[in-house]
Amino acid sequence: MISRPLLVGLALLLACGGTAERRSGASPTLLVIGYDREPDTMNRFSTHILEDIQSCIVEPLVVADDSMRLVPVLAREVPTLDNGGVVLRPDGGMDVIWRLRDSIRWHDGTPFTSADLAFTVAAINSPDWNPESTDGFDRIASVDTPDALTAVLHYRTRYAPYALQFVRGALPKHLLEGQDIERHAYARNPLGTGPYRLAEWKTGEYILLERVPTYWRGTPAIERLQFRFIPNANTRVAQLAAGEVHLVPFLPWDLHRDVARIPGVTVHRTLGNGYEHVTLNQRRVSAFREVQVRRALWHAIDRELLVRTVLDSLAPVVNGAIQPMSWAWTDAVRQYPFDPSRARALLDSAGWRDANGDGIRERNGAPLRFSLMTSAGFVTREQVAQALQRQWRDVGVDAQIELVDGTAISSRWFAGDFDAFLHWWQMPADPEITLFFARDRTPPAGRNINYLDDAALTTLLYRSDVEIDQTKRRALLVKAQQRLADLAPEIPLYNTTKLDVIPSTLRGFRGNPTNSGPFWNVHTWTIAP
Amino acid sequence: MSSLLTRRLLQAVPMLLLVSVVAFALMHAAPGGPLELYLANPNVRPEDIARLRASLGLDLPLPQQYVAWLRGVLSGNWGYSIADGRPVAARILERIPATLELIGLGLTLSLGAAVALGVVGGRGAPRWAARVSDLCCAAGISVPVFWLGVAAQLVFAVHLGWLPAAGRSSLGDGSWPDRLLHLVLPACVLAVAHAAAWGRYLRAGVRASLGQPFVRAARARGLSAARVLWRHAVRASLGPALTVAILDAALLLSGAVVTESVFAWPGLGSLFTDALARRDYPVLMALLMLSSALVITANLVADLVHRRIDPRTR
Repeated sequence: MISRPLLVGLALLLACGGTAERRSGASPTLLVIGYDREPDTMNRFSTHILEDIQSCIVEPLVVADDSMRLVPVLAREVPTLDNGGVVLRPDGGMDVIWRLRDSIRWHDGTPFTSADLAFTVAAINSPDWNPESTDGFDRIASVDTPDALTAVLHYRTRYAPYALQFVRGALPKHLLEGQDIERHAYARNPLGTGPYRLAEWKTGEYILLERVPTYWRGTPAIERLQFRFIPNANTRVAQLAAGEVHLVPFLPWDLHRDVARIPGVTVHRTLGNGYEHVTLNQRRVSAFREVQVRRALWHAIDRELLVRTVLDSLAPVVNGAIQPMSWAWTDAVRQYPFDPSRARALLDSAGWRDANGDGIRERNGAPLRFSLMTSAGFVTREQVAQALQRQWRDVGVDAQIELVDGTAISSRWFAGDFDAFLHWWQMPADPEITLFFARDRTPPAGRNINYLDDAALTTLLYRSDVEIDQTKRRALLVKAQQRLADLAPEIPLYNTTKLDVIPSTLRGFRGNPTNSGPFWNVHTWTIAP
Repeated sequence: MSSLLTRRLLQAVPMLLLVSVVAFALMHAAPGGPLELYLANPNVRPEDIARLRASLGLDLPLPQQYVAWLRGVLSGNWGYSIADGRPVAARILERIPATLELIGLGLTLSLGAAVALGVVGGRGAPRWAARVSDLCCAAGISVPVFWLGVAAQLVFAVHLGWLPAAGRSSLGDGSWPDRLLHLVLPACVLAVAHAAAWGRYLRAGVRASLGQPFVRAARARGLSAARVLWRHAVRASLGPALTVAILDAALLLSGAVVTESVFAWPGLGSLFTDALARRDYPVLMALLMLSSALVITANLVADLVHRRIDPRTR
């Protein structure tokens, strides 16, 4: 029997612990976000994971919005050839002129100026610090700052994605000049110009941000944002159901149905700037070097069925690497509808026939068999792999599924140590795809892990990388997409649509397809009464 | 006693050295590495990866990396975390209080429940109580911890709303009742599996002891049933159960990996999971060495406790 003092003690504990604060809904005073991991560093240039929390503090010069249009934030405009912000030099280089907004201040009151941009370029190119990427910065020969609000970047070569150069913001010169940036306190508590600043980082538990009342676009409506680190997806959903967290970004697709039953929350869907696909390693599997085989494998898959069943129609089928919201996208490409008889005919014409009646096609005694590598523990992906295996089997192709641990898989694909690989690429906001398909960009020089070797495509891609005029660049990229669809080096399946669970009372949330993340417009969010 | 301590300490040094060599070699032999995560980001180019690899010293031959690590450790420097650049010692020290809270309460509950299960089951009477004890032991051992954790969250946090589902405290509330409320579910889940396992050892011991001549002799001397049970039968059965409990405790102190993951508990277990996923070699090495040292110490403690409660081993 439980003694009376024990019962009284338990009751007191429950009363003192108080469930009201813990389980209160989202309010203008607090929004709790269930986040899947703790950031490694708050320095946007050093981190190698998403910059959602950092983006609330440190603002970029331009940001890709929810439809992937570039909109100026700290810059007055996006520099272009038309507005005189980009000048092509006869020596093959280019100058980009960044004009900054007036009256922007760092959170400590120091004005944000062009000197901060020049310092950022110098710091990133300095051997004393190791940021995650120096892409683009290493093409900048020098920076001029004719006045406090103008920075002129002198590029040695033409560089089409120049507008995204400061998409991670800038470093405060007055704080970091002459300092060891790697070990500076900035990495734990960055100085920014954004709507929020860091109030507390409780290691292993949460990061608390508080609003900046003097924020230049107006005081944010939500007072505090708490990012709780909850690595286990089921726990995130349980805390959502218990009312302990209010917003869960990047919900795994397989938990969509569980969340749909929770009252008071809405699942917000945003097209992602990425695509799930099957990479076909031509270096490893000789059959993949034949275009008829690649096309047959594509025709054999009922992608619409996959999306309707495994994905609950959450993501649309796509046909290529550039996604529909990009200005460079085209759907005027060769299509590969589900057509098993056409797939069989293509394989027959390539000489792959089932001579011994075991259901698997052979040629010269070798069966049409390969392994399909994918990451273990990703429920949706494992189910898709099983469906692909079944559908290929129907046309006489044998795929063996190989599940590999998430950390180990990168070294496998980077070494080209696989036959076929089911995965996604999260693409950059700029529609550059050279890295993935140019013939000289196989690892370690790039991500062409199809080991596609096509001279015409490579020429088109490299020309597009140095074409600054967007209309002309689009024309080149359209041709490249058409060439890619003809070659069918890989099998695109569906868009990596992002699911964000938000409180039904949250207004202003728009999501984001790019790595800018869903908090890119957090300063406009409000909570309805 | 002192010679035993000296002998064990002298044995521990080569043992720890061997563990460090094996752990270092295995960790680097495992597929993947700290820079693999960068590969998924198309903005990170091969030259960036080569630059980062050199900056972390990962381009050096493995024996050279090991010697550099060992030299650092011997001079008291455990190195810097690859993930966030902070000192490894600081990353580990800040997680210890949460682990001690969880393991402290979890083990206390486990021990209490194990003794109850073992004694009730071992005495064999009343019969229904013994059967319930057997059933509890079997269920506790069989149910996976992650499933039990999620089930407990759904029942006590989502449906009943009595307890928090996860985390260590509510925002702005560092009070002990709030902390204790957050501790209840993970500690209970942690306690279940261990209580069941330890309870089985104790039950078997009590059953065996009750048939021994020394118990009959105690009864013949006219001692009360309770005194016979607790003073003689249970005490004689504690040895194996305590040895297992102490070794388990050592492993748990280096991180209750599954429980901490399910309950988002910021202890050493979640640090280990995180470091493993990112292949954060310096943090992993430090945690493995901590774990080894704890196991060696626990073995020594178990021997000492055994000598204390069982005069035959002195």
